[in-house]
Amino acid sequence: MTTHAPNSKSEIRNPKSVLGAFDFIEEKAGIREFRLKSNSLRLLLLENRVAPVATFAVVYHVGSRNEAVGHTGATHLLEHLMFKGTPEYNREKGTAIAAVLEALGARFNATTWFDRTNYYETVPSDALDAVVKLEASRMRGALLRDEDRAPEMTVVRNEFERGENSPFQVLYKQTFATAYREHPYHHPTIGWRSDIEGVTTERLKEFYDTFYHPNNATAMAIGDFGEEEALAMVERHFGALPVSPKPIPRVHTVEPPQEGERRFLVRRAGQVAWCALSWRTVQAVHADTHALAVLGNILGGGLTSRLYQALVEKSLGLSVTVVPWQFRDPGLFSVFAPVRPGVEPSAVESTIREGIAQVRDEGVTEAECEKARRQIEAEVIFDRDSTDQIAASLSEAIAVADWRWYADYPGAIRAVSREDVRRVVQSYFQDDTLTAGIFLPKDGASAGAAGEEEP
Amino acid sequence: MTSASEAATRRTRVPFAEAVRSRSLGNGARLFVLENRFNPTVSLSGSLHAGGLWAPAGRRLLASVTAGELSKGTERRTKLQIAEDLESRGASLSFSADASDPVGADIGGAALSRDVDVLLDALTEMLRLPVFPEEELEKEKKRLVGAIQQQQDLTSARAYEAATRRIYPAGHPFHRAPASERIARVEALRREDLSSFYQERYGAATLILAVVGDFEADRLLDGLERRLSAWGAGPSAEIPAPPAVSPSPGEETVPMPDKASADVAMVEPSTLARRDPDFLACSLANSALGQSSLTSRLGVRVRDVEGLTYGIHSSFSATHWPGPFVISLTVKPESRDAAVAAAREELGKFLESGLTEKELREEKSSRIGKFKVDLASNAGIAQAIDAAVYYGFGVGYLDEFPSLVSAITKEEADSAFAHRVDPEKFTVVSAGSF
Repeated sequence: MTTHAPNSKSEIRNPKSVLGAFDFIEEKAGIREFRLKSNSLRLLLLENRVAPVATFAVVYHVGSRNEAVGHTGATHLLEHLMFKGTPEYNREKGTAIAAVLEALGARFNATTWFDRTNYYETVPSDALDAVVKLEASRMRGALLRDEDRAPEMTVVRNEFERGENSPFQVLYKQTFATAYREHPYHHPTIGWRSDIEGVTTERLKEFYDTFYHPNNATAMAIGDFGEEEALAMVERHFGALPVSPKPIPRVHTVEPPQEGERRFLVRRAGQVAWCALSWRTVQAVHADTHALAVLGNILGGGLTSRLYQALVEKSLGLSVTVVPWQFRDPGLFSVFAPVRPGVEPSAVESTIREGIAQVRDEGVTEAECEKARRQIEAEVIFDRDSTDQIAASLSEAIAVADWRWYADYPGAIRAVSREDVRRVVQSYFQDDTLTAGIFLPKDGASAGAAGEEEP
Repeated sequence: MTSASEAATRRTRVPFAEAVRSRSLGNGARLFVLENRFNPTVSLSGSLHAGGLWAPAGRRLLASVTAGELSKGTERRTKLQIAEDLESRGASLSFSADASDPVGADIGGAALSRDVDVLLDALTEMLRLPVFPEEELEKEKKRLVGAIQQQQDLTSARAYEAATRRIYPAGHPFHRAPASERIARVEALRREDLSSFYQERYGAATLILAVVGDFEADRLLDGLERRLSAWGAGPSAEIPAPPAVSPSPGEETVPMPDKASADVAMVEPSTLARRDPDFLACSLANSALGQSSLTSRLGVRVRDVEGLTYGIHSSFSATHWPGPFVISLTVKPESRDAAVAAAREELGKFLESGLTEKELREEKSSRIGKFKVDLASNAGIAQAIDAAVYYGFGVGYLDEFPSLVSAITKEEADSAFAHRVDPEKFTVVSAGSF
């Protein structure tokens, strides 16, 4: 695993040959963008010397947004199969991907979401080459065997079942399924149960061969390395991979405007009722994204926020979570709150709606706005405490916009005024664009007594 | 552009034992600070002996509620004023007493370095001058009752709690009473209970504070000393020995309707504490058995080969006191018996032949690599220093750790694990729609 050192040194002696393999595109906020000439793989480098570790990540521009009925969940199932091996890395050879990564001491995983799939490893910096090599191996070399799919399908089905256990997850899935009717954000990333069970290995291979190519991916290295060293590693392992034979298909489905409030109710066994309100908003690259983020903190960022004060401090809700979702296509602004037993869910719903109406009618104070801006600013600085946190934030940015969006984010947040916050509420928070959902415990435990019998 | 030789120099780091500056105050407080100038942030981790063990049996929750209520108002500021001062700067500060460690209460905090004084002022006020306002406690009680009920919706919590009731006698810190009982105890809490627990357990003698980040070390130590030196010492650090536990193994099912996935907890009392000489050997063996759902023996068999679960793990819970040894997994209800049988079989094989040489080698390099990766942030370093001192190893433990792990032999790991885990002693509880 450590035999890369002499190689990389010899490369470093001749940096021009390495740099020649890349086009340097742009630098911003310390992030440097390169593009491999041979196959258009985008590469971001950010040196960060916080500790002798480095994070390497590959973001594929494919997510559940690229799926349709019949193979919902395919992107995620494929992500699982990506751990089952390549000709070089597999269990038969004693080099299973996860085992190799574990032995390096890597903190690693892969995740799938609406707009992307990402694979990442944080390792001691002398193991960086080993993980670059591994990611290059599975970009085009995944085995995707049917005998691996069958047991992995049931693993994923258990992941789906675990999600179904959680009222929050049930509510969030229903929210998207209700707010989106035509656009693929309608279906959850984990997929519908029968699609998880029914999708064939051939279909997964087709998915892989359509989307897993260097020209549909962005790689990044963050941490303790020299630039030439990192460029040499990426060129050595990814340089020979070909460009996709066909252009990467684009999603063209657009969700039409919503013309009236939508409501849903889930009745299931449970202990606590939940309330979820979501309004249709904008795509991440839209100019109003930053004002919506500031609004999110004003409403739900900590104990002093408006909805925490109105719900938790008033003993109506047990907690409150405000999410200004940021996606490649127009998203939602959601408020989720578990209802304190004994309280009517409608009381929580109307409190949230009143909170929104107050901002619409009276605006927010300069102090609230400044607090929210500073909270977000601090989050961005805290990100830089660890390489994997930067990688996570940068990956999301790439998925929904591009890396410059991440670099520009603090400045754009700083520029948000209290007028902007009020304006976005007036623009987007209408009853006609609202999706409201309630989770009700089947036995009416919500309105019942506090005590509960052990079975 | 950095040359390879510069890179090599850069990676030669000053040992933590030298780089960390420390100061012990007359009242017993121990302070540790490390300058790390790469990013303008500060992270803080601390502890003191104010966990559930020190609360009366049957009222262990006093520890966690008292820790939580420290931030609800001081002699100088209301809860809202403190929160406003911290939140308006993106700073955070929290106190907690987790049931998994009956001895300690934990302190965690972070701020941008320009706000470090705001963070330390709030910390000092909460530690030294809390007032436990009546109305805040009443609000918290309502929230806690709801939270206990909400937790009763989790198959994992229900399985684990039921298992602890079969293993640990009522009143033991690891015994999780039924929800209805816990709710009644929450409702019975009075402000005076918190004040007196605070008076008895909070003091400088057991306080450890580690602060890492972008600041000048001497200035920070002076600032901490100025704020804390007049605080009373409080109780000493002597920890009573845990009582012996003699459970009778059994099986139980907790029925919960409408749950697509069930949770299984296989639990037995362990004798392994964090300070035991075989702790590292034992935990290395456990990593090979069940630390990762993807690569450990249990994961490879039950997840990778048989596809029965999304997650299966085994773990010790070793603090100053030995906690339980647990194998936990999620499974669709129909497959429970197959999954439990497979887990038992893998454990049996593991106990019979122990680690392979390859596993030992890989677990060692894994553990050493993960240790480095965990030390890659201000928060990670602060927590590691706090833990090393809390368990009496000292800051030098951070430097010694890799060689301590490297030195473990197969015989040590195998015999430690076999000594600490008895396959006949498991209580197996499943919670879900059976």
